[in-house]
Amino acid sequence: MKKRQTTRARNQTLLFIGLAIFTFMNLIPLIWAALTSVKNPADAFTVPPTILFHPTIEYHRQVWFDRDFVRYLFNSLIVSAGTVLISVPIGSLAAYGLSRMPQRRASPILFGLFTIRMFPHMLLAIPFFVMGSFLNMIDTYPLLILALVAINQPFTIWLMYSFFLDIPRDLDEAAAIDGCNLWQTFRIVILPLARPGLTVAALFSLLLSYNEFLFALVLTGIRTKTLPVAIASFGGEDVSDWSISAAGAIGIMLPIVLVMIFVQRHLVRGLTIGAVKG
Amino acid sequence: MRWQRGLWLFLAPSFGLMTLVLLWPLGYAAYLSAFDYHLGSPEVQFVGLANYAQLLGEARFWQSLWTTLLIGFGSVAVEFALGFALALALYRLTFSVRAFMILLFLPHIITPVVATLFLKWILTSNWGLIDATLLTFNVSPPDWLGNPVWAKICVVLADAWIFTPFVMLVLYAALQTLDQAQIEAAKIDGAGGWRILRHIVLPSMVPVIVFTVSVRLMDVFRFFDTIYVLTGGGPGTATETITIYTYQLGFQLLQVGKASALGIITLVIVAAIIATFSSILHRGYGRSA
Repeated sequence: MKKRQTTRARNQTLLFIGLAIFTFMNLIPLIWAALTSVKNPADAFTVPPTILFHPTIEYHRQVWFDRDFVRYLFNSLIVSAGTVLISVPIGSLAAYGLSRMPQRRASPILFGLFTIRMFPHMLLAIPFFVMGSFLNMIDTYPLLILALVAINQPFTIWLMYSFFLDIPRDLDEAAAIDGCNLWQTFRIVILPLARPGLTVAALFSLLLSYNEFLFALVLTGIRTKTLPVAIASFGGEDVSDWSISAAGAIGIMLPIVLVMIFVQRHLVRGLTIGAVKG
Repeated sequence: MRWQRGLWLFLAPSFGLMTLVLLWPLGYAAYLSAFDYHLGSPEVQFVGLANYAQLLGEARFWQSLWTTLLIGFGSVAVEFALGFALALALYRLTFSVRAFMILLFLPHIITPVVATLFLKWILTSNWGLIDATLLTFNVSPPDWLGNPVWAKICVVLADAWIFTPFVMLVLYAALQTLDQAQIEAAKIDGAGGWRILRHIVLPSMVPVIVFTVSVRLMDVFRFFDTIYVLTGGGPGTATETITIYTYQLGFQLLQVGKASALGIITLVIVAAIIATFSSILHRGYGRSA
């Protein structure tokens, strides 16, 4: 018995060490970018790579203030906030309606939504761009927000649907008996109970719109460029700008890490319903 | 029941918006695909199905489809092997699981463009971390992103870096729902770890595995950010997937008619994958029931 326990402890330690090594190796690209972002270019281009150097936050300052990333951040925030504020309310309404329908009527609609989620976005980007040009709406916030709300709907509805299903229908019936109409039932009785779901849906929609690249690339211009578009056009080629681009990339990443720590308990639910990368 | 009347009104805003913003443009794309339409030029000519015929007779189209499938199956294979190993390891580990989960999950949750840039800075020739390290030891490395074969491998690995955590998480969640009693019984009967894995764990995870593989395969037909940033489809057209080709057609060459036709073809392929996957799942459920 004793021997069995020591092998078990040894196995656990080996497992832990193995995972720790893998995790570290897996994060090397990220760690490397973080180091580059606080290096002077003289330290950034060396053979062998430098690990010991004098760190500087000069490039973090430059990218946000001299290179206008503050403005792109502002654009990103407007687009993300707009998307969340439209997408979550209308998605929750639809999800509630579906969750209170007979299963046989709700299932085909839910499957249809799944199919929509699988649409190749490129297929939508073309007519969007053409229609946007006709309407003279390219490089405006509403067009991009509308596109993001629409592609985000299937995910929000699925997620909220799963939360509403967990709330027993008896409550609806009790509310109806007490004289609530449908809207009052939803607003006064059900919605407060679904608050955790709303938070999760809002945070995931926020991530989706903050990270989105394709629509932002084709529908924005100088005025409404979001952070991913800015860093992509900036960070690719010119090696001499490495420290600055790395600083920008790390800066873009930080808020996401915070949100992620906040939603970690709900990750499984959010992701199995539909990957965040919309 | 009486209180259920009017439920459809709750669906109206969301579905109205989706009709306006998803279905209408979709129909418009189908309409555009029947024209020889060069954005910006006043000449718009109705060509019927000629755009489709032209695409299907074109080597570049078939090559991009082949590249898409190659990159798709390649990355799904890597993601599955790694993701399953990680999920099993986390499942067996009894402490600090959550910390590992967060750290392993980082590459998936950060902005795809940013994640790809991180990888690009590792892979860049001469100054990237890999080359700088190899050159230290006087090993001359291949041009990772400039060589057609290596570029494909890099794209597969980049996709795997970003999406393995997703596969890991889904499989880990599935492992949590396994029937412990069955596993204990098998242990008492003297079954080793490998046989338990092969005969109990894997069969019960078939639906999850089919689901994940299908989702990932469909994703490959939308996969854009990473290739756009990492190689831009190059060198030449070595990493040009259908999505990248559509982008080139529509937004670089501005041939929106032909690009729409290509988009519709992609949709048909994806629909075929969805149909196959849902029939496999139904058959799977039918057998277990």
